[in-house]
Amino acid sequence: MEVIVDLERCQGHARCEDICPEIFATDPIEGKCVIRQPQVSLALEPQVRLAIRNCPEGALRLRRSKDGAL
Amino acid sequence: MTLHFAPPEPHHVPKDLIFDFDFFHMPHGITDPAEIWHDLRRRGVPPIFYTPRNGGHWVFLDYADIVEAYRDHGIFSTYQTPIPPIEPFPVVQPQGVDPPEHQIFRRLLAPMFTPIAVRDMADALRGRAALLIEDIARQKSCDLIEDFASRFPTATFLHLFGLPEARLEEFLRLANTFFRSTDPEERALNLSDIYQVLDGLFHEKMTRPGSDIASAIVSARDREGNSYAWQDILNCGFLLFVAGLDTVTNTMAYIWRYLAMTPSARHYFLENIDNQQAFSRGVEELLRINAVSNLFRRIAKDTHWRGVEFRRNDRIILPNTLANRDAKIFENPNEIDLNRAVNVHVTFGVGPHRCIGSHLAKTEIIVSLQEWLKRIPDFELDPARPPAGLFGGSVMGFTQLGLRWPSIQ
Repeated sequence: MEVIVDLERCQGHARCEDICPEIFATDPIEGKCVIRQPQVSLALEPQVRLAIRNCPEGALRLRRSKDGAL
Repeated sequence: MTLHFAPPEPHHVPKDLIFDFDFFHMPHGITDPAEIWHDLRRRGVPPIFYTPRNGGHWVFLDYADIVEAYRDHGIFSTYQTPIPPIEPFPVVQPQGVDPPEHQIFRRLLAPMFTPIAVRDMADALRGRAALLIEDIARQKSCDLIEDFASRFPTATFLHLFGLPEARLEEFLRLANTFFRSTDPEERALNLSDIYQVLDGLFHEKMTRPGSDIASAIVSARDREGNSYAWQDILNCGFLLFVAGLDTVTNTMAYIWRYLAMTPSARHYFLENIDNQQAFSRGVEELLRINAVSNLFRRIAKDTHWRGVEFRRNDRIILPNTLANRDAKIFENPNEIDLNRAVNVHVTFGVGPHRCIGSHLAKTEIIVSLQEWLKRIPDFELDPARPPAGLFGGSVMGFTQLGLRWPSIQ
């Protein structure tokens, strides 16, 4: 799976970075979400799902990777 | 441009949506200003209702409506919103301007308040908090608000603006009058004092710039290479002065009151003092349950929305405390669960005007809590100085909160 962010919706709450800093960071100009590593390992998937559910803007989602891998 | 905002006459409001509610009035016997809001839900008031008090305004009760109002700035404007109406009201950049214009000052300020920028400030803030708390810990009791919760955010403002600690008392006096005075003459004088002080300090930063926010604002240039209008600079400074003081002060008052009454919560934070994620999760829950701000919006155009007729210039209050305890969104909304896994609270708002200082505010609370618990791990309400001076309005809180820790010092 890979995680994607809608930067139109993201307002820089940084809740994702708090919950899963392995995958999410924030940029130094607007403070919006930066995805460090879009490919989510099975080990990190629960944390990423939690980060997605905690985004107050609903700006994050998981999708099947382009190569079809889960 | 002349603006005229006659108090709306509610011809367009059906009788069954009108309820008598005064968000400044604190009924006798309540112990928490937020109770007046939660009482609305208990009384079964409709989720969108109108009160004729304070110039007449709507109130939204549901999370979904509050969040949508924050996002839809085409209908719900932040321009000229005070309740009761004040005319003319200064256009405070960027809070009082709708997108896309608000982006001009928002973009200018954003880099100074990102998580990265705030992390760079954290050690300095921690040092200032520790100094204040060391003094307090030497005593056996304190008034949390007078001795810490009002001083620390003001000290933080001095730090942001590159001002010396020596000016703390001066800024505390300005802030205290601004937030607590009800005398119109004193308020007008205070407002002009604040602007005069800001004018002086921005001029100083123009000639001798430092690495602080005031210097960055005053030396910023727009796309054409011009500096910003002086009045906009002053209004922006004014917003930064007032927005981060009372909100943080009263959030801290609520949090320390809860911790004083809840040994298990003190234990949770002490146990997780070095566990950043668990500590932060607990703080998010305290922020959810202790949302002190009630935000205002103004209807930009006549609108039929959620089955209700709104007229241009109608005012609306978005009470974050109600959004944060909406059972349709939060499991056991009135229970405080420091390990709450999913917590989409709107204490800092959402959408384009989300509180730009949220990361700073959160860091102020986290470093204060850590430095406090290291020195004063156990404390309780001081019966000699109980929580008092409850007030409602756009920010809710107390003016006195006595704490004591006789058993440990």
